Amino acid sequence: MTASAWWRLLLSLLTSVSVAVLVGLWTGHVGFAVAALLAILLLRNLYMLQRVLRWLRSDRADQVPDAGGAWGDVIGLIARLFRRKQYHKRRMRQLLRELRHSTAAVPDGVVMLNPAAEILWFNRSAAELLNLRARGDVGLRIDNLVRRPEFVQYLRGGDYRSPVVVQGAGVDEQHLLFQMVPYGAGQLLLMVRDVTRQVRLEAMRKDFVANASHELRSPLTVISGYLETLSQEESLDPILHNQIEEMRRQALRMTAIVQDLLELSRLEAEGASSGEELVDVGALLNRLRSDLLARHQAPVQILIQVDSTDRLRGEPAQLHSAFANLLDNAAKYTPSGGTVTMRWWRDDQAGYLSVADTGIGIAPEHIPRLTERFYRVDPGRSRASGGSGLGLAIVKHVLQRHEASLQIDSQEGRGSTFTCQFPLSRLVSAA
Amino acid sequence: MQAADLTHHTSRRFNEDLESVRTKVLAMGGLVEEQLSLALKALVEGDSALGKSVASQDYKVNSMEVSIDEECSRILATRAPAAGDLRMVVATIKTITDLERIGDECERIGNIAARLAKVERPMDRYREVKHLGRTVQLMVHNMLDACARLDSTLALATARNDRIVDEEYESIQRQCITFMMEDPRTIRRALEVMWVVRSLERIGDHAKNICEYIIYMVHGKDIRHTSLESVEQEVIGRTARE
Repeated sequence: MTASAWWRLLLSLLTSVSVAVLVGLWTGHVGFAVAALLAILLLRNLYMLQRVLRWLRSDRADQVPDAGGAWGDVIGLIARLFRRKQYHKRRMRQLLRELRHSTAAVPDGVVMLNPAAEILWFNRSAAELLNLRARGDVGLRIDNLVRRPEFVQYLRGGDYRSPVVVQGAGVDEQHLLFQMVPYGAGQLLLMVRDVTRQVRLEAMRKDFVANASHELRSPLTVISGYLETLSQEESLDPILHNQIEEMRRQALRMTAIVQDLLELSRLEAEGASSGEELVDVGALLNRLRSDLLARHQAPVQILIQVDSTDRLRGEPAQLHSAFANLLDNAAKYTPSGGTVTMRWWRDDQAGYLSVADTGIGIAPEHIPRLTERFYRVDPGRSRASGGSGLGLAIVKHVLQRHEASLQIDSQEGRGSTFTCQFPLSRLVSAA
Repeated sequence: MQAADLTHHTSRRFNEDLESVRTKVLAMGGLVEEQLSLALKALVEGDSALGKSVASQDYKVNSMEVSIDEECSRILATRAPAAGDLRMVVATIKTITDLERIGDECERIGNIAARLAKVERPMDRYREVKHLGRTVQLMVHNMLDACARLDSTLALATARNDRIVDEEYESIQRQCITFMMEDPRTIRRALEVMWVVRSLERIGDHAKNICEYIIYMVHGKDIRHTSLESVEQEVIGRTARE
């Protein structure tokens, strides 16, 4: 309350008291007159207090009682507070409604879960995909209704970095993609999407690649065979000889590509649990080295450094193919006189296999895309050297199946190092 | 009686115990459901590796039965549940037995699928068996849904589906006999198919049993060996009154 209001109150009080004193002087009962005045003022205040209380209890904010003076101010302020609250409440409600409408209209299924995985809310798409009922299913645990073991495992595993695709979790034998998004205090948002079409397309693509490369292999063998014979035919024109030689090289390249494509599709098709053995990495590296030396005229020096006798648990053929690809690449991109070093070692975190060369190196912008299929840093050069463009894709696949990761360090002009990092669970010390 | 009744307890731990048992039963149901669909897939697609893997996964169902059974005995011993809680524990113990038997039937279908993959598939690619399998799968799915929602109406509707399964079973059986009479070379395959449909029919029976336990759990009324019509009156009457 401001100072002027105080003064006004004081003034009106003084006026009433002086009037009472005057009346008292006129009638001769000053004390009685003042007491009567005070009693009237007190009664009036009590009456106003009662009215305000009744108004506040009545829940009818619009029927503001009218009063003047200080009580009028009090009532006016309360009414303003109330109106403001009402306004905010309306705004919030409107906002919430719009939010719900927009979430409900999202084509993906959305389910809100509390920390105990009980359903708080879901939109219409989620209801359709997971066969949830708008009435009655709120408060039930999501894993009681979506019961496929893969989903239950994903939900309880707590690792929500990547989504999971589960078949038959919903109404039909659809493939559904589930993604958990944690938010707030332990709450979870479950996103559901029907990916049946994508899964089928992917399967078709894989089948196609596998079939096509298989079908291409036999005609290629015939072509290569005849070209081989022709290139040794001496009665032919020497000009033709060059052309035949070129055709033979291209046929060999095509064979290599088809071979790699087959290898890749086989890697994709095989289940994760393929035959596992303990691989002696040192011996494997020696074998790779002599293979390479037998094929090329060894323009580079190949060094092997084995600092650990640990065996690596894995699929021997796959590891062979991955390491061979790394070594091939290193040898290919290292000019003569350079060195390629293969090293196998471990520390207390992981086991490492690295292939380091002193070759031309790779510019940093290419490194993230190196393991993509058919990605080429310098199209002209790698094609001339006869690569298929699939080598590192194969390496990546093999490493994924062995829970390993590939790290690439490179400096242009100085050389590159490819390091495969295997988890300790895959290492077995040679007793 | 409402589904939410499970959550009204003075002892929070007791609540959690009951809830965890229910979730485990449904997880077991999910596993069985998957086994069934994989076994049927193995049969229809002639995938012998898949059939064998289904058969080898049955131990998971068995071990879940053992662990849930132990938990139920522990609840009976330490909490001495009464009324609805007692019905729930008793129904759970029966439910897991039937679920385990469904798992066994799936194992059998998986084994047969692995064997049948080696012989030539029939012209119709097991169309009839596939259809019966679909019906049974739906029955198992609805039965588990009813269990999750404690929905006696759905449980009753699912139990009624057992008749359709029985009829289809009969007709496939007759069909198999016809095949065998027409061409004795199909006898081997037809006999195996008979085993598969027999298993599917048994799965339907087990699903029906579980539906009866659900109705018992929700309404406290034992409806085994009574006609479904009288049960229907009972359930609908009660649901209307609530």
